Amino acid sequence: MQRYFPVLNPLGLIILIFGLLMGIPLSVSWLHADNALTAYDESIFITFAVGLLLWATTRSRKRDLRVRDGFLLVVLTWVALPIFAALPLWLYMPDMSFTDAYFEATSGLTATGATVMSGLDNLPISINFWRTFLHWIGGMGVIVLAVAILPLLGIGGRQMFKAETPGPMKESSLTPRIAETAKGLWVVYLLLTIACTGSLAAVGMGFWDALMHAFSIMGLGGFSTKDASLGHFNSVPIELVAMGFALLSGINFATHFLALRQFSPRAYLRDPELPFYFGVLTISILALSLYLSTFNVYDGFANTLRYVAFHTISLSTSLGFATSDYTFWPMFAQLWILFLGSFIACSGSTGGGIKLMRAIILYKQVFREVVRAIHPNAIKPVLLGKAQISDKILHAVLAFSFIYMVTIVSLTLLLSATGLELITAFSAVIATLNNTGPGLNAVGPASTYAVLTDFQTWVCAFAMLLGRLELFTLIVVLTPAFWRK
Amino acid sequence: MNIRSYAPVIGAFGLITMIFGLMMGFPLAVSFFLHDGATTAYDESVLITFGVGLALWYATRNTRRDLRTRDGFLLVSATWLILPVFAMLPLILYAPALSLTDGYFEAASGLTTTGATVLSGLDQLPFSINLWRCFLHWIGGMGVIVLVVAILPLLGIGGRQMFSAEAPGPMKESSLTPRIAETAKALWVTYLVLTLACGVALWLAGMPGWEALIHAFSVMGLGGFSSWDNSIAHYDSALIEGVIIVFACAAGLNFATHYRALHRRTLTPYREDTEVRFFALVLVGSVLMLTAFLMAQPEPMSLPTTLRHVAFQVVSISTSLGLASTDYGSWPMFSQLWLLFLCSFVSCSGSTGGGIKMVRAVILYKQVFREITLALHPAAVRPVKLGRAVVPNNILHAVLAFGFIYMVSIIILTLLLGGSGLEMVTAFSAVIACINNTGPGMNAIGPAGNYAGLTDFQTWVCSMAMIIGRLEVFTLLVVLTPAFWRK
Repeated sequence: MQRYFPVLNPLGLIILIFGLLMGIPLSVSWLHADNALTAYDESIFITFAVGLLLWATTRSRKRDLRVRDGFLLVVLTWVALPIFAALPLWLYMPDMSFTDAYFEATSGLTATGATVMSGLDNLPISINFWRTFLHWIGGMGVIVLAVAILPLLGIGGRQMFKAETPGPMKESSLTPRIAETAKGLWVVYLLLTIACTGSLAAVGMGFWDALMHAFSIMGLGGFSTKDASLGHFNSVPIELVAMGFALLSGINFATHFLALRQFSPRAYLRDPELPFYFGVLTISILALSLYLSTFNVYDGFANTLRYVAFHTISLSTSLGFATSDYTFWPMFAQLWILFLGSFIACSGSTGGGIKLMRAIILYKQVFREVVRAIHPNAIKPVLLGKAQISDKILHAVLAFSFIYMVTIVSLTLLLSATGLELITAFSAVIATLNNTGPGLNAVGPASTYAVLTDFQTWVCAFAMLLGRLELFTLIVVLTPAFWRK
Repeated sequence: MNIRSYAPVIGAFGLITMIFGLMMGFPLAVSFFLHDGATTAYDESVLITFGVGLALWYATRNTRRDLRTRDGFLLVSATWLILPVFAMLPLILYAPALSLTDGYFEAASGLTTTGATVLSGLDQLPFSINLWRCFLHWIGGMGVIVLVVAILPLLGIGGRQMFSAEAPGPMKESSLTPRIAETAKALWVTYLVLTLACGVALWLAGMPGWEALIHAFSVMGLGGFSSWDNSIAHYDSALIEGVIIVFACAAGLNFATHYRALHRRTLTPYREDTEVRFFALVLVGSVLMLTAFLMAQPEPMSLPTTLRHVAFQVVSISTSLGLASTDYGSWPMFSQLWLLFLCSFVSCSGSTGGGIKMVRAVILYKQVFREITLALHPAAVRPVKLGRAVVPNNILHAVLAFGFIYMVSIIILTLLLGGSGLEMVTAFSAVIACINNTGPGMNAIGPAGNYAGLTDFQTWVCSMAMIIGRLEVFTLLVVLTPAFWRK
């Protein structure tokens, strides 16, 4: 047991800090006198106490973290934090089952946005604040995870994508590098969140709604304060602002960081993901608008364009806001958007899926195999920008996407074995694994995940964690080899 | 690029067409012998096919040269895309109501040994028409064996080079012909022997002689056409189902392994074949799991009946045969999905089955495990092994890329069918059933339905899916790239 102390110690610290963060919804509740105060003071007490206890008892064995510790810490953090995050929800609504509360909290922290709750409009403001604040905290976690931690752990070829982050590379000690990277990126994240809140408020949203939706957008989560999601406001300027900031959140934060530091857009021009990002989105929006206008789903092309553009961006970046019930669209359009959601978000963004970088590498590798079939002796390395991708990275990326698809197939089979209808099962897996949120049919934008049985809810919660931790992190910890000494 | 540089390919294609025309003599003879009223459909078809083949062959006789790799791609693609045109002639001549689209689909389904059908009322068809359909499976099976054991390895499709170690003959990149001929001969003898054994076994199990023959064709090619609308359920005989299970399993194994076992008169080759172990494991595991699952449903059938039907369906669907002994479309969704999932990888390389093949699934599985180990021990050297051989990097890349493009093909084709208005479950299962050359899917195209309900566009998409699956995706993809046509 003692050899896990170095991992448990920072975990205790993280829980402790998380407990302190609960002070924010507590003050919001106090400020608005919304009757949810008691839910928070107990939660803070429990969280803070557990964190303190864990930290204090393991303090004697502090040492630098190694790669193996990194895996365990990341997994424990993402599995344990939702338990504490669920406390305020669970305490405020005693008739909510623990399964549902854990699901909701996981959905918050993984920035998924799938909900089991309805009647959001009547909830105390601090509860909605807490839900969306979880997205924002989760987003901060994801940025550090994706830009600083996963590359060090070498998950699915991530080593490749770290080139642009500052700091030295030391395999034996994770801490200094992570701290340095994190600070820079969080400043960017904070600035963008403030800008998003300001813009939303400027186009007519009340301050608190603007703040909460900005949390949701920047973390690419998808919780809203309204049952009708962003459709409640029915305002084109609000949708435009949401789209703009969702697009920004879907870009690598390291690129934002460089651009801000250099005061020049050159960093964007040099990011190899961006041409594909904007290219695929633009073409998809235009094609889907034309396709939908032949079905007369909405009145007029302008209207169609408005809804298609919003949902394409919202769902493919893995945000998950909806402004209308897109399950009335032809099935093909819905599937296309789910399909986009599985790869469009850039690496180092708060979005989910396999990340655009990996999709580009896969595409180039397939093309290379075709050329190699014609010219068996041709030497044609896979290039990304000007960098050549090593065999090791290629293997990792290919194995990653393979296990990603196998995960989708296995989890879909599992959900359908428990009696869920196929389209619902499949879309629930895609929507949770990609951390998007709403799926199709029974889990579509007009309904919630409350219809699932407890077992199915746990499967979906697990899928969210799997997706957020880029599969391998969680799978590695689940293998016996990890625990053998 | 002038037409002359394609002359060697066209010549070889002409020869294949000519031989194919001669093969039509078989249903013609049977039709004549049985007086089933379909004779006229065949004599015209034989004439057209043979004539076209002869013309192509004769016109290009002066430009003979050895075939190269590039020619191989073109010849293989052209053969599988164009032969169905000739194969459908007897069908549309006999049944003028059949559209060209449906005729092509049925013929492609036959030659790719898929077994998806647009025809109903099979029971009333002249015998020779049913014979022709099943004979197409058998011819297709012969083609597939040569394709996968001798041709695709030479073309290096999806890591196939790796799996060709066991095929006899020298390896010469510049000339395809001698090696292929030698390999083909040995494997076809094996195929023929097994077909005869299957026919006799079916006959002994109580099937009438001619029906035993056409079902043996269907089983050995892992096709799935039957002479009955309700497939094997027509006989309702556990004995017949048992025979089919055994021979479907045999057809799902590598024919090169059968050849060596027959040649050396020992079972050692089966033990040495890495795929056989996984093949048996997955099948037995699935049968037990699905039986337990079905028994756990409300109002289950008796255990022996459940086991019987599960065993038949699991073997039939996962080897990509596609015959049905019961309407498993009424089983819970999960069990149908599981069957479709199995058919995408269970068949061994060098069998007549479809899907990505067991050996690739094993390599993919091992590669994923290696990545997990590498994540823990970044400096570890841990090669992926198959039996005792280390899988080299370029093979790994090829297999991974193959697995990826296979899944992407499924997604794109499903979107295409969904985009054209087909209900989602039907669309998805149609793509899986066609690209894996299995046959029956779910819902509208389930074991109790057929593909006649599809629009023309959807039927063409399914036809293409069958050929894409049969040619292991890359062969066709390569021919479709501009790089292939540039000189």
